[in-house]
Amino acid sequence: MPRFHFHLVEDGRVITDEEGQEFAERDAVRREAVETGASIARDAFIRGSASQVIVDVRKGDELFLKVSISLTVEG
Amino acid sequence: MLGTEKIRYSFIVILLQCWSSALTNESIPNALIIRLRTTSALDDQDVQAVRSLPVMVKHYQPGQAIVRDGDRPAECCLISKGFCVRSKTTSNGRRQILSIHIPGEIPDLQSLHLHVLDHDLITLTECTLGFISHVSLREITRRRPNVAEIFWRDTLIEAAMFRDWIVNVGQRPAPSRLAHIIVELRERLKVIGQVQGARFEMPLTQEQIGEAMGITPVHANRIVKQLRDDNVLEFHRGSVRVIDEQKLLELADFDGLYLHQRPSL
Repeated sequence: MPRFHFHLVEDGRVITDEEGQEFAERDAVRREAVETGASIARDAFIRGSASQVIVDVRKGDELFLKVSISLTVEG
Repeated sequence: MLGTEKIRYSFIVILLQCWSSALTNESIPNALIIRLRTTSALDDQDVQAVRSLPVMVKHYQPGQAIVRDGDRPAECCLISKGFCVRSKTTSNGRRQILSIHIPGEIPDLQSLHLHVLDHDLITLTECTLGFISHVSLREITRRRPNVAEIFWRDTLIEAAMFRDWIVNVGQRPAPSRLAHIIVELRERLKVIGQVQGARFEMPLTQEQIGEAMGITPVHANRIVKQLRDDNVLEFHRGSVRVIDEQKLLELADFDGLYLHQRPSL
């Protein structure tokens, strides 16, 4: 099974994932990335520590997919 | 002559084996007794009765199921060495860790009265477990009502811990959630003398930390890094070292009343 690394970017601050995780299918990687982004964004948005969270998923050195979640408050 | 020597030799070996297994068996309830004496009013005769419970000792590897959802056990499991977790898995395969168990605890004591197990009990580390039959447990609780009350109290404390776990997972942000779980674990390990200074065992992998907190392993990894970068605590090979006690307590939002660690509470 290929190994994927989920690097995080919170308002430009990078947190690298050295360990990585193995996944058999693309859908599972996407699910993991979306769920990770959403749950980190929830904490960060409520705390006010960031207003954009990016999950940058790499397979080896190559970009595999990118999930970006932003907070917009109007009014 | 040679034959007699052999028989004598085997006899001595068997004697030695019996002696060593009796010795191990005797130490099995030690942590349980220390723990029950801290939380409840256990008198000397109760201690004697608990010590005389017949125990079958077994050794488990990490990640082994002791009992599973749907099993109908005929014995309860007393942890003598090592760590276990209780967990439930959803139909699409997502596991929620419900509680972490340490030496001196009987995580499936409920199976004495709830006949079919409704969750899994799994080892986290190598474990030495003492199995006590339901027959023996039922006998001791009938013969010694005080022991029955203490076991009852023990399962009530466990229910209080589950209430706290729900509040923690449902209401606190992830860093506080982890800090809370860690402070609780430390308070319980202290009772059985397993905290050395600022360091104690916390043998959960990042994936298991995620399963305990209801977050993904990557999020768990991020929290672990944050706690270390903020100089709160650091994880190292299955143990935790507290760097800043004050910061840890503030983050954990911890009031240990729900552990009821004194008979008067």
